[in-house]
Parts: sequence; structure tokens; C-alpha cells
Amino acid sequence: MSSLHTISHSQSSILLESCLRVISENDAILFIEDGVYHCCSPFVLQTIGDSIRLYGLREDMLARATLAQLDDRVEAIDNAGFVQLCCSYDKVVSWF
Amino acid sequence: MTANTRSKSPPRSSLTFVSRSAPYGRNRANLCLDMALAAAVFEQDVSYVFMGDGVYQLLKGQEGSAIGSKTLGNALETLSLYGIENVYADQQALQERGLKKSDLLSGLQTIDNDAIAKLIDSSDTVFNL
Repeated sequence: MSSLHTISHSQSSILLESCLRVISENDAILFIEDGVYHCCSPFVLQTIGDSIRLYGLREDMLARATLAQLDDRVEAIDNAGFVQLCCSYDKVVSWF
Repeated sequence: MTANTRSKSPPRSSLTFVSRSAPYGRNRANLCLDMALAAAVFEQDVSYVFMGDGVYQLLKGQEGSAIGSKTLGNALETLSLYGIENVYADQQALQERGLKKSDLLSGLQTIDNDAIAKLIDSSDTVFNL
């Protein structure tokens, strides 16, 4: 079983920290809404295990002008990709 | 006539707005800005400080249309149109988030913690959102 974790607030919240405490090897994290600020913070991303795939919602990054600073480890996906991603994991765990 | 208008104008006080929220996730950033603009219309002495996640409001090149929102960066550029010249970005917050001055909108001064403390101390009223 695999889970897609969505994180929707910035690093000022403790969402990522809480999520990482209970995440499994084959899971992925998708950063959405204010969560996309994580995607341009290499220092924060390096606390996430290498086996965890990382995604960021392109629309949210465009709005916030953070797409240009996107970390290499994070893949930008659009809303259609978001839907596909939800379908390719067994469940979605929302951190908000 | 002039004397009459003057007597009707509200007493002047110094208001400091501390905006601590990122621009789109919640509407706090917008509300804070609206309050400041309203205060400026009534000829109050307004200072505006972007603190913590609030500094994300200052990033250049925002495109609110991507998520069906108004672009907040454009609204901030109106601060000076309303006569709000004292606009500050929290230096520590910028450093913590790895943001450089070149990433930000123009017309900003950075401010350190001591200076924020002094600003709050010397203001008649502080709005912290």
C-alpha cells in the first residue's frame, strides 16, 4: 500500500515534521497551496528521505512566483497531474 | 472652507500594520492591506511591516490568475499611491527563507528585530494579522 501525502501550509507550520514522523518508504509528498513554499527550500527538503518522491502543484507555484526557484528534487505537476497522482496511490493523506 | 475641512479631519495617529501571512492560502494578507489603505485614506501615519511568512507577499512575478485569485503583488504596489512610504521587510524572515532583495518588489526597506520593536513601541495602534 502506498500513500500520497499532501501538505498545504508553509514551513512555519509543523505539517511536514508531523508527516515525516509517520511516512512510509514508497509514499510521495505533494506540496499544494502555501505548502509549495517548501519546494524552494533545499535545506528543508533534505530532511525528507531519498525514497520519498516529491511533487509541487504548478498552478500554486505560478501564483506565488516560486516556480523559478524550484528544487531539482521536486517535480512540478499541473491540476490534471494532481488527479492522476491521486489515482496512482492507494490513498491520499491530507495534512492541513 | 479650508479651515472647516481641517476641523473635520480625524485626529492623526500612527498606525503600524504587521502582515505575517503568505499571500494566497488565506485572506489575511488581503485584509491587512485593505485596513492599511483605508487608514491611509483617512490621512493617518501608516507603517507597514512584512514579517515571517508575510515576506512571501513581496516576491516578484506573482500570477494569481493561475489559481483564480487577484495578484496580491500588484496591490502592494499601490501602497505608495496611497501615501504609505514606510514599508518594511523583516530581515530575519528573508534570511530564513533564502530570499534576496533582487527576488522582491521594489521600494522596500529591510528592517531588523530591534527596529521593529521600536516601531511597535512608538506606534499608537498596532494591527497584527
